[in-house]
Amino acid sequence: MNEGLKEKLEKAFPHAAITSMRDTDYVVTADKESVLSLLAYVKDAGFDHLTLISCVDWIDEGEFELVYILSPYMKDNEQISGNEKINLILKTRIARGNPAFQTVTHIFENAEPYERELHELFGVHFEGHKRLIPLFLERAYDIPPFRKDFDTRRYVKEVFDNIPAIQDIKA
Amino acid sequence: MRELELYFGPQHLGMVGNFSITLKAEGDRVLKATANPGYLHRGFEKLMEYRTWIQNFPLVCRINVVEPDHVEMAYAMAVEKLAGIEVPERAQYVRSIYLELARVGSHLFGLWAYANMLGFDTVAQWAMYHRDLVLDLFEELTGGRVYHIYIWPGGVRRDFPKGFKDKIVTTLHSIGGCVPDYDAAFFNNAIFHKRASGIGKIDQRRARELGATGQVLRATGMKYDVRKVAPYAAYDKVEWNVPVRSDGDAYSRIWVVRDEMIESVHMIFKLLDCMPEGEVFNKPPNPFKWKIPRGEAYARCESSRGEFGAYVVSNGEDKPYRVHFRTPSYPHGLIILEKLLENANIADVGNTMISLYVVAPEIDR
Repeated sequence: MNEGLKEKLEKAFPHAAITSMRDTDYVVTADKESVLSLLAYVKDAGFDHLTLISCVDWIDEGEFELVYILSPYMKDNEQISGNEKINLILKTRIARGNPAFQTVTHIFENAEPYERELHELFGVHFEGHKRLIPLFLERAYDIPPFRKDFDTRRYVKEVFDNIPAIQDIKA
Repeated sequence: MRELELYFGPQHLGMVGNFSITLKAEGDRVLKATANPGYLHRGFEKLMEYRTWIQNFPLVCRINVVEPDHVEMAYAMAVEKLAGIEVPERAQYVRSIYLELARVGSHLFGLWAYANMLGFDTVAQWAMYHRDLVLDLFEELTGGRVYHIYIWPGGVRRDFPKGFKDKIVTTLHSIGGCVPDYDAAFFNNAIFHKRASGIGKIDQRRARELGATGQVLRATGMKYDVRKVAPYAAYDKVEWNVPVRSDGDAYSRIWVVRDEMIESVHMIFKLLDCMPEGEVFNKPPNPFKWKIPRGEAYARCESSRGEFGAYVVSNGEDKPYRVHFRTPSYPHGLIILEKLLENANIADVGNTMISLYVVAPEIDR
């Protein structure tokens, strides 16, 4: 990251921890109150491409980690500034017992399908999202299927063991 | 006029399979389109949490059926970042050549789909035949035609076999020799131009807002290509250009695809010329005992459809804690498609869909 942005971020958001993992990956850890203003800030600072929103279920710590990955689009077609290779990984934690967070669709329009996915697979509710309708799933599972306590093997056993095998059906 | 609900796909020539669109239409005008993924029932990202780092390779390559190689690359790069594995220099060149061959094969498949959908059956058959020639190369190199599992953390599984370089050159020359035929029959065909220009038009500002990458963005004039802006493998070792067009419609997108194929072929020739000798594989530890330190990594590459990324989290175990793929078809197929189809003509739905180059398995990972 250009050093200027790192300093600016530290100044504007004193509570956010900024670490650089490798040359190109920068991790910003922030509390959930400042995420929206941070996202708007980095968008203005050039990180206008929201690549991915992900979620990690830290079940032992009782928290979900929301991960926003951003990188800059090109500003000038003829010249690569070098900032484009940076991945800004913005992370925040929310309580697993009450998985709700604000939507970021008003900042990044393309967040819509990502938030829909996380709502469906992790059960995270995004307040203010206009269309939290099902994306992939057909059935309503008791636990959202991508959470760590959803055991795929147990689920398969419970569902398919109840269907009789062909040789068990008496003529 | 009466409002109708129309189900477009999953069985439709204008559909790329395993995907459908629900259209609300009045007459032949689309009022609203809703994309419906979810026909594949896979959940690979969840399955990967139950398998070791190496056991995941046969899963990841199935995320994009048409070109599994870029998925392997993104996942392998993320694992390399996490575990801190170096890749030998020759392996970087082999990877680049292999990925460019995959791009040519994938674009030919895309060309087949597009030409087939518009009724240019002859061109479609040519494209499929030429893709088969590329698959023959993959078969000799890796043993598999469609799924290769060739790129591994630390390099590639084996070096080029004897005489393989000449075979690449011969094959690419025989495909390249047909470019004038393709141009005359398809790309410069007046019927195709009339059918595709102005369809699914998007401007650069809107494309950026909606998270477009790949052809969809480059057809609006931005030279954004991960191979160029964040070079990986050996893409910074040779000179090459990023083809762009400026109109942002279906016609521009397919021309970007055409130019990209030609650029890829030139790039392969250049890479073959300056390829160093040496090892191609830094062997990682025993896969059954391989534990990767706690951490996270995001790696990305430019697949033939746009930016392909892998976000991988490790908690120090022999299996990933969480894997999430960023696929280019995700924004293209779920949000851009819906926006472009508003107020479109029903006859243009398939045209828009295929020109966005969406591949459904990428969405429904």
